[in-house]
Amino acid sequence: MHAFAEWLQATPLSVAIQSTLWVTPVVQTIHIVMIGIVFVSMLNVTLRVLGRMRADEPLPDVWRRFAPWFWSALGVMAATGLVLAISEPIRQVSALSFWLKMSLLAIGIVSALSFGRAIAGAVAAGAANPTPSGRARVLAVATILLWIAIMVLGRWIAYDVEIWESWHLA
Amino acid sequence: MDLTPLVEAAQNSALSEWMRTSLKAVAIINALHVLSIVTVFGTIFVVDLRLLGFGNLQRSFIRTHDELLRWTWGAFGIAAVTGVLLFMVNAVTYHRNTAFWLKMATIVLAGINMLVFELRTVKSAPSWDRGVKPPSAARLAAALSIVLWIAVIVFGRWIGFTKGYDFTIPDDVQFDFSAPE
Repeated sequence: MHAFAEWLQATPLSVAIQSTLWVTPVVQTIHIVMIGIVFVSMLNVTLRVLGRMRADEPLPDVWRRFAPWFWSALGVMAATGLVLAISEPIRQVSALSFWLKMSLLAIGIVSALSFGRAIAGAVAAGAANPTPSGRARVLAVATILLWIAIMVLGRWIAYDVEIWESWHLA
Repeated sequence: MDLTPLVEAAQNSALSEWMRTSLKAVAIINALHVLSIVTVFGTIFVVDLRLLGFGNLQRSFIRTHDELLRWTWGAFGIAAVTGVLLFMVNAVTYHRNTAFWLKMATIVLAGINMLVFELRTVKSAPSWDRGVKPPSAARLAAALSIVLWIAVIVFGRWIGFTKGYDFTIPDDVQFDFSAPE
């Protein structure tokens, strides 16, 4: 992995990104704006499951309103994240925070997909306004914590040694 | 007004010293700062989009506004406290940093925009609460809000890339970006 990262970091594309001073801050800014959209879209849906937001709207409507924002912003995040990773691959693969973040992100994506499928299933079964189960409420809280952890770990890539000390992968 | 003595006092305080010497304090405070800023932006963005006429116009704007702005304010409070702490860590450097002052000025502008909206424009909200596109004053406030809060994030990120070396790089300086051996 480190050999690949070293090769990638020396490619003309990576060098071009690194040596153009404005690219990294601009791409990072887009990345941060997008996580705002991803996180708050997710927050609106999970808080609706918990009955603390948009309780006047059926859950499937809330999901339909926020899912397109969630998925599009997530797509832009993946693209900008890729640019950031290409510009500093050695830093990414050496960071435990990066690998933890990617693992949690995979869980976040799979859980959002299965949540969307569960909503579609409930609607198809005739439940226009399904009442979230106790299990759904627990999962809603877990989802909020999951995305908070993803954001914190994202910020910690830059502080990997300080946070993880000897667990840092360099 | 010369803020230098105040800035130096902040940097020399015991709290500031503790944050600098603690291995993890800055990383944790910084993560909380980012977390709260994205929540501020995201929640305001939903309200702004509703004002611009996107989303469910049949749903009460006042309800959307009240439900979300609680979270905005809570997050803004955390962002402000963590922001002050981060400033204290390197107060003298931030105090000289252009991007830092642009960020502060932009937050003030966003605050004025919000005050005008909350004290004037929102008074007529019952007449456009649902079913109609909000008036132009409300749409203008929403557009300004989106632009200003994105600018706050831009300048915030810019601080990280300019603090400590806030100068123009001479043309003849060459950087070596090749991978370390």
